[in-house]
Amino acid sequence: MKPAYLVQKLRHFYGRKQVLNIDELTIEKHKIVGLVGPNGSGKSTLLRLLAFVEYPSEGKITYFPVLEADGRPLRFQITLLCQEPYLLKRTVFANIAYGLKIRKDTRNLHDRVAEALEWVGLDYFSFAKRKWYELSGGEAQRVALAARLILKPSVLLLDEPTASVDAESAQRIRDAILMAKSEWGATIVISSHDRNWLYESCDQLVHLLRGHIIGSAAENIVFGPWKWLNGTLWYKLLDGNQRLILKGAENENSVALLSPDSLIVRPLSENFNFFDAEKTQREVCYINGIVSALIMERATNNILVSIAVGHITFNARLASNHQMLYPGQKVILEIPTDSARWVS
Amino acid sequence: MHYITDGFVRAILLLFNKDPETFSAIKTTFTVTTCSMTASLVMGIPMGFCLGYYNFPYKKVIRTIVDTCLALPTVLIGLIVYAFISSRGPLGHLGLLFTVWAIAIGQTILALPIVVSLTATAIESQDEQMRLNLLSLGARGRQLLLTSLWESRLMITTAALTAYGRVLTEVGISMMVGGNIKWHTRTITTAIALETGKGEFATGIALGLVLMSIAFIINLLLTFLKRRI
Repeated sequence: MKPAYLVQKLRHFYGRKQVLNIDELTIEKHKIVGLVGPNGSGKSTLLRLLAFVEYPSEGKITYFPVLEADGRPLRFQITLLCQEPYLLKRTVFANIAYGLKIRKDTRNLHDRVAEALEWVGLDYFSFAKRKWYELSGGEAQRVALAARLILKPSVLLLDEPTASVDAESAQRIRDAILMAKSEWGATIVISSHDRNWLYESCDQLVHLLRGHIIGSAAENIVFGPWKWLNGTLWYKLLDGNQRLILKGAENENSVALLSPDSLIVRPLSENFNFFDAEKTQREVCYINGIVSALIMERATNNILVSIAVGHITFNARLASNHQMLYPGQKVILEIPTDSARWVS
Repeated sequence: MHYITDGFVRAILLLFNKDPETFSAIKTTFTVTTCSMTASLVMGIPMGFCLGYYNFPYKKVIRTIVDTCLALPTVLIGLIVYAFISSRGPLGHLGLLFTVWAIAIGQTILALPIVVSLTATAIESQDEQMRLNLLSLGARGRQLLLTSLWESRLMITTAALTAYGRVLTEVGISMMVGGNIKWHTRTITTAIALETGKGEFATGIALGLVLMSIAFIINLLLTFLKRRI
């Protein structure tokens, strides 16, 4: 598959602070790529760089036109929906038609605006004449998305499109994004905190942490503080006074990355004895949790199970011979203590 | 006290009787303020946009100079313009002294820093998200400038109103470079000064009322316009 983007030796700074450090990243054409990572990991910056509204301090981002023989200038092929949508101080109609007017493409304007509104689940007759201040947060986000979709961009970059919107708006936005791929083969790059949705929808996942790509899977990130236990063992106190014990932290603020493949999930049985299990914790750590979701991982066609342990959620990839699990079920999570990769 | 109330009554009579001298001053005022405002807006808005939008060397110095010019005394502007357009000045051969054009030039110098400074402030206070939004929709160059200005239309209208208030009410420039010539360069404000000096309070008050009415009508129109846009 041909790439849409090739990112090489990218370094980006704000002042003296390095916010991105990516040696290489390829984004393939006609794919949905999810950017995952905590706040401040560089997702929004990367999206702005991919949109060419900001330029990297060092390195190169090469864009290969997604649609063959797409004669449009680069700025007309790629569009970005920012985390906080900004609507022009005009009507909904004028906001959605703005991009087309810039492109001097005003054929069937009313029909196309009506279609774009329909894509995001808004009624043309109810919304077209509304002013920007007559919309709720979710409606404003949907109008902002419609203003991008009407342009039928080759690349659609979305920065937290479902953050701070109601459930209905979030679902409409998700549907519209998937429609953009199926209708005109757009390449889509999305950053979102809605990990489960990304796992379900994305062909490729890019996991960012502190400006670095740390993997392309549903990695579990566990932040400190870590406390030294003994030898090379460190522990983090979880809810319910449970301890996540792992080997090899560099310091108390290290960040542990746990592959979902290394985690084993078993239904909690009545005869499971945590006291006995504690004795073996040099090799395996046992954590008590509850299944919060089962997700079909599109990129690998595997099932991911999300296990809530207090306010932390772990993702484990289920083996093909896995036992029956269901949301709400109490489970034991087995984590080999030497399974962590560490980032300082 | 009597002469003040009498002045008001006579003012209304002057206006209703369409007193030619009064209407000449009103016409001159309209002519010069229209010229000076057009020139200051045409030059000032793009300059203000550049000052507010772009970063360039000595931007802060230029901004400080522009802001300082907000306090330019009208008599000083009058003096400078006089020096340039008097027969001994570098532009003396143009024969501008004691014409409405001379007043318009002086008033443009008066209004320009107001338009530039307030437009720059309007652009600077725009949401960064707006710029990103416009860029991500493909706007560049002139489209970016025009849309940014349109998004700040209310603040820029306020800038224009503030500048208009200054040029409408100034006396120093009109007096010094216009010469207060009856039927030619006499504006409402110079006429008020002259009539008051002569003890003709009624005419002075009449012209003052006209001045206030013009300001009121323009504000009313702009308030209406603000709601529409």
